[in-house]
Amino acid sequence: MATAKKTSKGKGGGSDRKDEAPSSAEPKKSPKAKVDDAALQTLVPGVSDNIRLGGEGSALFVKAAGIAVVSLGIAAAMGASQGDDFRRFSHSYLVAFAVGLAISAGFLYWVTLQHLVNSHWSVVLRRIAEVFAANAPVLAVLSLPIVLPVLGGQALIYDWADHAKVEADHLLHHKAPYLNPTFFAIRMIFYFGFWTLLSRFFLKGSLRLDETGGAEIIPSMRRVAGPAMIVWALTLTFCAVDLLMSVDAHWFSTIFGVYFFASCVLCVHAMLTLTVLWLQGKGRLVKSVTVEHFHDVGKMLFAFTVFWAYVGFSQFMLIWYANVPEETAWFKERFAHGWADVSWALLFGHFVFPFFGMLSRHIKRNRKTLAFFAVWMLAMVYLDMYWLVMPNVLENPEFALMDVFNVLGIVSALIAAAAQRAKSINLLPTKDPRLARSLAFENI
Amino acid sequence: MSHDEKTPETPGPAALHGLLAEYDTPAGILAASQKIRDAGYSRWDTFTPFPVHGIDKAMGIKMTVLPWIVLGAGLSGLATAIALQWYTNTFDYKWLISGKPFFSIPANVPIMFELTVLFAGITALVAMLVLNNLPLPSHPLDFVRRFARSTDDRFFLLIEAADPKFDEESTKALLEGTHPAAVETVKEDNVTSNKLPKVLIYGVVILTVIATVPFALAAKARHATSKQTRIHAVLDMDAQPKYKAQRRNPVYADGRSTRLPDPDTVAVGDLREDSHFYRGKMNGGWARTFPPQVRLEDATMKRGQERFGIYCQPCHGVGGEGNGMVAKRAEELQQGTWVPPTNLTQDYLRQMAVGELFNTITNGIRNMPAYGPQITTEDRWAIIMYLRALQRGHASKTAGLPPATGGTN
Repeated sequence: MATAKKTSKGKGGGSDRKDEAPSSAEPKKSPKAKVDDAALQTLVPGVSDNIRLGGEGSALFVKAAGIAVVSLGIAAAMGASQGDDFRRFSHSYLVAFAVGLAISAGFLYWVTLQHLVNSHWSVVLRRIAEVFAANAPVLAVLSLPIVLPVLGGQALIYDWADHAKVEADHLLHHKAPYLNPTFFAIRMIFYFGFWTLLSRFFLKGSLRLDETGGAEIIPSMRRVAGPAMIVWALTLTFCAVDLLMSVDAHWFSTIFGVYFFASCVLCVHAMLTLTVLWLQGKGRLVKSVTVEHFHDVGKMLFAFTVFWAYVGFSQFMLIWYANVPEETAWFKERFAHGWADVSWALLFGHFVFPFFGMLSRHIKRNRKTLAFFAVWMLAMVYLDMYWLVMPNVLENPEFALMDVFNVLGIVSALIAAAAQRAKSINLLPTKDPRLARSLAFENI
Repeated sequence: MSHDEKTPETPGPAALHGLLAEYDTPAGILAASQKIRDAGYSRWDTFTPFPVHGIDKAMGIKMTVLPWIVLGAGLSGLATAIALQWYTNTFDYKWLISGKPFFSIPANVPIMFELTVLFAGITALVAMLVLNNLPLPSHPLDFVRRFARSTDDRFFLLIEAADPKFDEESTKALLEGTHPAAVETVKEDNVTSNKLPKVLIYGVVILTVIATVPFALAAKARHATSKQTRIHAVLDMDAQPKYKAQRRNPVYADGRSTRLPDPDTVAVGDLREDSHFYRGKMNGGWARTFPPQVRLEDATMKRGQERFGIYCQPCHGVGGEGNGMVAKRAEELQQGTWVPPTNLTQDYLRQMAVGELFNTITNGIRNMPAYGPQITTEDRWAIIMYLRALQRGHASKTAGLPPATGGTN
């Protein structure tokens, strides 16, 4: 779960709080003693900061990669011991993968959006997002435990993957031209291929700007961002439909892609918050990212809890009102047995509590409270994915260590890959002409 | 600057309103603001062409109370929406919609959301205006020529004479110590009124009165009757150029809108020559056998059982004894007009020709309506087949059955 993911960066977060607590309103302060002044680099006249991850990145890579391998290994072993041909494990893995997908695809969306709207305030945060967005190929590899069984015709998760089941079910037969293993695999290749190309384009362009300082790269990236955003929206929608909605292939909802998109945006801002806090705990970006940036990230985190509730309720109410059996069946499953409790937990935990919790600007401008809600929302996104997928295999929700290890493994893998990528590059685009304005950014 | 004009409350021109300082840069006005703030002044303000970062802190402006007002308004909107829907749906005008509860939260959420947003939004605007003392029709600064550049490229700071710490000499000295481009005295405005123009006020009042007219008319209409025809808002929907069934039609000599088929014609597929199959008649009497089109097999029996369950069982009962749910309910209500449904297992019905049974289902009898239009011909025969099975089951005696299966008819 997201709380588990937190442990992988828990030390950083903890020391950061110690570091920042006395000056939560005033970001201007000297970095911790262990950061030597030689590491400081002048960004604009008057602002110098440590913007290289260096050894910390290697250390994080080793730690996170280790956790990822061990966790996924333990989870797989636990899955094998269930004796159900990995059926339970596959669902658990898909839930964790969906969280990883929301994080990676979300960061790519965020980078594209910043280019599209020519955003100034976010320049100091953009490199972190570019690094995380470039995880698309890692995610493609992580998707193999889901895609390969489908190609093998095994209905571990998806009934439509099994030829015999499709023949026995009129509706699956009807949907087979779209929902069949071969086309599914082709689509996956297309999604991850597109995301890989797009994220590499943005990261490489941004790094080239660091070297050459040629600002003409920026408009060229902005020109790509518009069409890319449209294609991104389509790939995310179809990917959510393929991976998550088709778990119950009889059911359908036209707003499903938007519903998953809300989770993506929540993950981006939660992960941005936690990543920057970890970095600041290590003495990086201490002066570049100020409470003003945190405030804006917090605003987005807050706004998208409302957006999630809006979309989720729109989906529910139309189905509730029309009362058509083929649509209500999906919700009926989730309002029965123990799943009703999870549904209520989502309503209050994913919307009501964070809505009132993050309403005040003081909460969003305080690093500690913002960090709490970032972790909270990641946990809620996990619960949401669990609620989407798990009723397919479990009559009642049940806690299993396997679930924890799966999400810990996948998120750690993403962090490890990001750390590896980030260790030898600048943590913010130093020669972006908008950097000065981003550094001086202030909420009015 | 002439000192003899300084006497306060003097009628006539030019009481002192305050002192205005002009700065060239945002940094200049930030530094000046900090000095004025630290000097303890309370009635002063700054005017800049764009929002200057850090000006709030430099001026020592406290957090506004506006968010709390908006939160309160939003929650009142929410409460209003819940109360409104509860009152109208469960109390004032109950209306059962497809079996849903009178007060059901999912249906109410959109209104709750909208009213929350509406109340919060309108309150945010109005409270912001009120907190900022707006609208302000006139201000003494309107008459200061250099002040026009406050919307262009200059930054201004005004200390009002009404400030308790204000003293023309010392305040001026203080301002000049902040490196302004210029300091100027601002006179009170005795020329224009600071009140809203009368025309505007009358206009708002008249518009408000006019706006209440539709509501007044609606309220009157609720408690009055009228001999006039109603207003047709969408005329071409209310009066469509077509003739409806049972209405007069001048096109035809007989004046009917509904036309009969032409004599001696049959619509395609409507020729029902086979009297046995379609009417249950053979050689002028009721047929005693099933027509050849009906296949006497399990599938037909199953179909008959299913159709019987749908169309016959509600009145005639599961076993055909005339004790269906409708009959039971009618007896419970004890209304005199009710004729109980026939017990289909009676002897005379067992003897009745299948053709006559078919005719009864098709055209109805006594209280029973015609089912011909609802049930296909094949299904009517299937029902009769199932009915025959029911009748047989009833008539059989357990004594006549082999011991192993005794009593399981």
